[in-house]
Amino acid sequence: MIQKKICMVGVFGAGKTCLVQQYVHSLFSTKYHSTVGVKIDRKTVALDGTDLTLLLWDLAGRDDAGDIAVSYLRGGHGIIYVVDGTRRETFEQIFELRTIVTKAIGEVPSVLALNKVDLTESWALQPADDAALAREPWKVIRTSAKTGEGVEASFAWLAKATLTGATQ
Amino acid sequence: MTGLDIFGLTDVGRVRAGNEDHFVIASIRKSVTISQSSLTPAETERWQGGGAEAVLLAVADGVGGRPGGELASGAVVTGLLGYVGRAAGCYQQFSLEEEHQFLERLEQTVRDTHEELLRVHGESEKAPATTLTLAVLVGRRAYLIHVGDTRAYYLRGTRLRQITRDQTIGEYMMDVGAWTEAQAAKASAAKSLASAIGGSELTPSVGLIDLEPGDTLLLCSDGLNKHGDVEALAAVLGKPSTAEAQARELVALALAGGGTDNVTALVARIS
Repeated sequence: MIQKKICMVGVFGAGKTCLVQQYVHSLFSTKYHSTVGVKIDRKTVALDGTDLTLLLWDLAGRDDAGDIAVSYLRGGHGIIYVVDGTRRETFEQIFELRTIVTKAIGEVPSVLALNKVDLTESWALQPADDAALAREPWKVIRTSAKTGEGVEASFAWLAKATLTGATQ
Repeated sequence: MTGLDIFGLTDVGRVRAGNEDHFVIASIRKSVTISQSSLTPAETERWQGGGAEAVLLAVADGVGGRPGGELASGAVVTGLLGYVGRAAGCYQQFSLEEEHQFLERLEQTVRDTHEELLRVHGESEKAPATTLTLAVLVGRRAYLIHVGDTRAYYLRGTRLRQITRDQTIGEYMMDVGAWTEAQAAKASAAKSLASAIGGSELTPSVGLIDLEPGDTLLLCSDGLNKHGDVEALAAVLGKPSTAEAQARELVALALAGGGTDNVTALVARIS
C-alpha cells in the first residue's frame, strides 16, 4: 500500500478542517472548532488501479498565538494551502506560509484552495490577485467545503501529483 | 527523553456508588544490560538501560447507566498496556511510515477491544462501554487517540486549550448541521455519547501535538470538567507546583463542586 502524507496549511479559520471533513466524511459543520496540534485522518483512493492512502495532517492554523510548527511538516509529500476568499489577510499571508513550508521540506506538489467560494457576496479577492497566485508553483482550485465544490478535485489532483511529481 | 513529572489520581466522587473510571501511567523501556565488554563505556552507553522510550497515559470512563462500565474501561486500559509493551523498542527515530504504523496499531488496539466487548456482551444499550483518551509521549511529541467525552488539554504559558473534541450527540448534530448551538444546549440527548468503545458507534479521533518545556498535559474524565471550567483548570495547572499536587487539587476542585461523577485527573509536566 502506498501512503502519502498531505499537510493542510493556512491561517486559522480558513477552512482546513472543513475541507478534510467534507472530503473524508462528506460532512460540513457551521460551528467553528479551532484545531489544536494536528488531527490526522486517512482516506484510501484508487489511482490507475493502485490503492493510495492519503494521510491527511490537518495542522493548527497560524494565529496570534503562534506560527505553524515546521516539525509537523516533516515527511510531507504534498501540501494543500487554504485561503479564505472572504478574508483578504488569509490570502496575503499564504505566500509567507509557503516560504516557511518550502524552507522546511523543499518543493512538493501543492494545491492552493481558494475556499468559501459559495460566499460570493463577501468575496474579498480581486481579479489581479489571480496573477499573483499564478506566479507560484501550485495548482489553484476554487473550493467550498459547504457545497463540496472543488473538494474532491483538489485532493484527487494532489494525490496524483504526489505520484507523478506534477506541480501545476 | 524529555523530563517529565507525572501523576494520576481517581476518586469515586460524592454521589456514585462505585468508580467506573480507570487510568494508567506507564513508562515503556527496552534495554540491554551489558555485564562485561571490551568496548568502551561510550560505545556501549546507547544500549544500556536508561530512561523511558515512551510514556503512556490513558484515562477511560465507563459509560454511566450501563452495567459493566468499570469492566469496559479496565479492558481498554489493559489492552493498551499490552500493545505499547509489545511495541517497545520501536519508538526511537520513527520514520514517517513507522510513525503512522504505530498510530494505526494503537487505534487498532482500541478497535480490537471494542470488537471483543461486542463479541462477549453484544450490542445493546445495556452492554459495557467506555470512553478513552490516551497519549503516548515520545520525546516531546504526544500521540493521541480519543473516543467519547474524556478529554485532553494542554497548558502553554497561561493558556489552557482543549485538544480533544467531545464525541457527543450534541457535537455530532451540530457537525451535520441539524442543530444550532442553542438547540444543542437545550437538548437532553446532547451529552449522550456518539462514539464509545463497546457502544453502537466507534469513531476514534487520532492526532498529535508537539509539546515544549514548561507545557503541561492534562487528561481527565468528565467528572472533572463538569465541575471546573477552563479558567479554573488553568489556574490550578499554572501554579508552580508538582504534578501530584496539581492532580490532587484538580480532584479536590471537582469534589468541592459537588463530585457528581467519578473524577480522574492525569497531569504531565514537561521540563
